Amino acid sequence: ELERLSNLVGKPSENHPLHNSGLLSLDPVQDKTPLYSQLLQAYKWSNKLQYHAGLASGLLNQQSLKRSANQMGVSAKRRPKAQPTTLVLPPQYVDDVINRIDRMFPEMSIQLSRPNGTSAMLLVTLGKVLKVIVVMRSLFIDRTIVKGYNENVYTEDGKLDIWSKSNYQVFQKVTDHATTALLHYQLPQMPDVVVRSFMTWLRSYIKLFQAPCQRCGKFLQEGLPPTWRDFRTLEAFHDTCRQ
Amino acid sequence: GQTGKLMYVMHNSEYPLSCFALFESGPCLVADANFDILMVKLKGFFQNAKANKIESRGTRYQYCDFLVKVGTVTMGPSARGISVEVEYCPCVIANDCWNLLMEFMQSFMGSHTPGIPSVFSTKHDSIYSPADTMVQYMELFNKIRKQQQVPVAGIR
Repeated sequence: ELERLSNLVGKPSENHPLHNSGLLSLDPVQDKTPLYSQLLQAYKWSNKLQYHAGLASGLLNQQSLKRSANQMGVSAKRRPKAQPTTLVLPPQYVDDVINRIDRMFPEMSIQLSRPNGTSAMLLVTLGKVLKVIVVMRSLFIDRTIVKGYNENVYTEDGKLDIWSKSNYQVFQKVTDHATTALLHYQLPQMPDVVVRSFMTWLRSYIKLFQAPCQRCGKFLQEGLPPTWRDFRTLEAFHDTCRQ
Repeated sequence: GQTGKLMYVMHNSEYPLSCFALFESGPCLVADANFDILMVKLKGFFQNAKANKIESRGTRYQYCDFLVKVGTVTMGPSARGISVEVEYCPCVIANDCWNLLMEFMQSFMGSHTPGIPSVFSTKHDSIYSPADTMVQYMELFNKIRKQQQVPVAGIR
């Protein structure tokens, strides 16, 4: 009798295309354990994410954004011949370069620290105008955050705060410009020249509040002073006035 | 004896925990709110001058990185004038951004834009502090006290 009955019970895995996850949809108590709907949403989201990431990588690959001298795609056979990579530099060398740049400009002081491993973190103080936190990866500049002179750059435990943005709109704008600058100055074989050019560009901000815009002649545009500095001539422009 | 000097005790709602005590051309003391109580205890040494409390009350506006406070100056029950305070928050060196401030003020005050405050010329390149704001308010209030009952706009 039992055998006859057991043959009547169909095998669920044959009829359900979703296998185990499909069984979740049979749960009658939907509001307390909405697992199936959450599962569906997670699946749709990850599919969309994959699609968008594919589109983004297609767009980004059109422009070569490599700043280091490493060559990808070199076959494993040639790599052991050790093309000198600028990604692996001894920390002492980085320290020396930064110290030399520190002495270059009197109104700019640079403090170097390594709280998280080997990547250097610089605290650049420009006169009494602003402070810049620069996070580096060997001798390449990775990120910058620009804050006002009176703003706190340390977290509660005394470490350098590399994440929080400035409270002032003008310095948020300058942070965006600095990020543009660090992408602009690129020279894969000579990263110390890059750092020097970046610091020279940054130094032009000593007159952030004093210089009028070279294009419109005024100080303020939408409440902001000229925050853009041209990469070649270091002239001051409003963000909306630059070409 | 010595001729008495005037000392002003001032409060600013922007710095609610502080009390400022300043002499006309002298130093400015920044103390915490208990200073008022201390002054009551020191009643024997100080004479409360006949003049009267003067205050400015109004609205506080924020535009981009600027802070604008517009208030009515009252002495006792009568209104004596209007005060406008403009602060550019990101800059800590006063002399650096004077031109910028002036351009901003001209955009809404036109011909009423004041000249450069006297504290700026003494500051040179030192950092601006709340005490400097209080000195400017003190000068403004004194100017208003000297004027008679006719209400005139006093702008700082």
